[in-house]
Amino acid sequence: MNESSIVIDLLKRNDEKSIRTVYNDNKNGFILFAKRYNLSQDDLIDVYQDAIIALIENAKKGKIDDLKSSITTYLFGIGKFMIFQKLKKEGKTVAIDDFEKIEMIYDDYSEEETNLQIEMLQNGFKKLGEQCRKVLQLFYYEEKKLDEIQSLLGYTNKDVLKSQKSRCLKQLKELSK
Amino acid sequence: MDKEQLLERYFENKLSQEEALLFQNYLDTDPSFAKEWAFQKNVKKAITLNERADLKQKLQSFETPKSAKKWLSKWSVAASIAVVLGAGYWFMNQSPDTIELYEDYYQSYPNVVAPNVRGENSDNIKSEAFYEYDNGNYEKSLVLFSKIYETDKDDYALFYKALSQMELQKTTEAIATFKQFDLGKNNAFTPFVKWYLALAYLKEKQQDKAIPLLKSLTENENPQQEMAQKLLKELE
Repeated sequence: MNESSIVIDLLKRNDEKSIRTVYNDNKNGFILFAKRYNLSQDDLIDVYQDAIIALIENAKKGKIDDLKSSITTYLFGIGKFMIFQKLKKEGKTVAIDDFEKIEMIYDDYSEEETNLQIEMLQNGFKKLGEQCRKVLQLFYYEEKKLDEIQSLLGYTNKDVLKSQKSRCLKQLKELSK
Repeated sequence: MDKEQLLERYFENKLSQEEALLFQNYLDTDPSFAKEWAFQKNVKKAITLNERADLKQKLQSFETPKSAKKWLSKWSVAASIAVVLGAGYWFMNQSPDTIELYEDYYQSYPNVVAPNVRGENSDNIKSEAFYEYDNGNYEKSLVLFSKIYETDKDDYALFYKALSQMELQKTTEAIATFKQFDLGKNNAFTPFVKWYLALAYLKEKQQDKAIPLLKSLTENENPQQEMAQKLLKELE
């Protein structure tokens, strides 16, 4: 295991100390690098935080298990991509070649924050029992396969997990009405 | 392959080309299938947004001074200042290590029982109690939860009574309340009772009493298992 994969592994496990270390170690560098895009300090911090979130999310989804670059390079890549999107949204022109090579897998759901149905599901989810939250979180957020979830949560039988999952969905539907 | 399985494989990103065609076909011809698909996609978005919001809150706390961080997110600035002052006072009167761990690990436990707004059931003492608790009026919530417990003997009332005492820094009283729980019963509150009782002991510098509780939390799967492992490691 090289150094990046150790850190990625810790991020997967939500290790608070590692999150804090990655956050602090890269912050000043990122701000310095992103200053040229004419965003306010608050906006820069905001983008930086979103980039960290995307980094952790992709780690959990197993998308960067084979990361070739350093975490810093990857993180800055995401940040750059997010700045680009932000500028575009605000209708500002950007020198495209700056962003040409960026390809990031990250679903931007920010427009969904005002979707009432999703908001109700968000609240409903918080009312679910611990086990249901775990099952659904692993399946839909961390994009784990049912087989993995089965062994992670110690289900002896996949069908039990499956019926648990559909029960949880049903409960969530009820709680989100 | 049945429809449920097909949906599963869709979300697992495992659809073969053939299955993808079948999937598309169902989407076009079976409204209930399309509806279920849309629902699950929304579930995915909702969970994702929740996770991101939680993380964002954590990252934002990195930007605020350490002593204030855990409180700022929950309460108004005014309330948090009062708490920080209180915490500062209490810091000066304690020795560092276990106290520091307590401060690092203690977080207000949310109201998970009765989310409500005032006025909906104003005659209902339970919603009143949670209303006060949610708003940080722990003196009031303490009185109300104690009352509920006296009449109904409900576990939730006992639990939130103890938490109100913790919030009020009445640690020895909180310990006494937590001890009223039958820990053999093992219900939804049990891991949290053990957790907060252990933290209360730490605050009272009674490490020897905290450790067995934390150990028992590490022994089986429960919501506090990971935290207990972490804290235990720091104590050893």
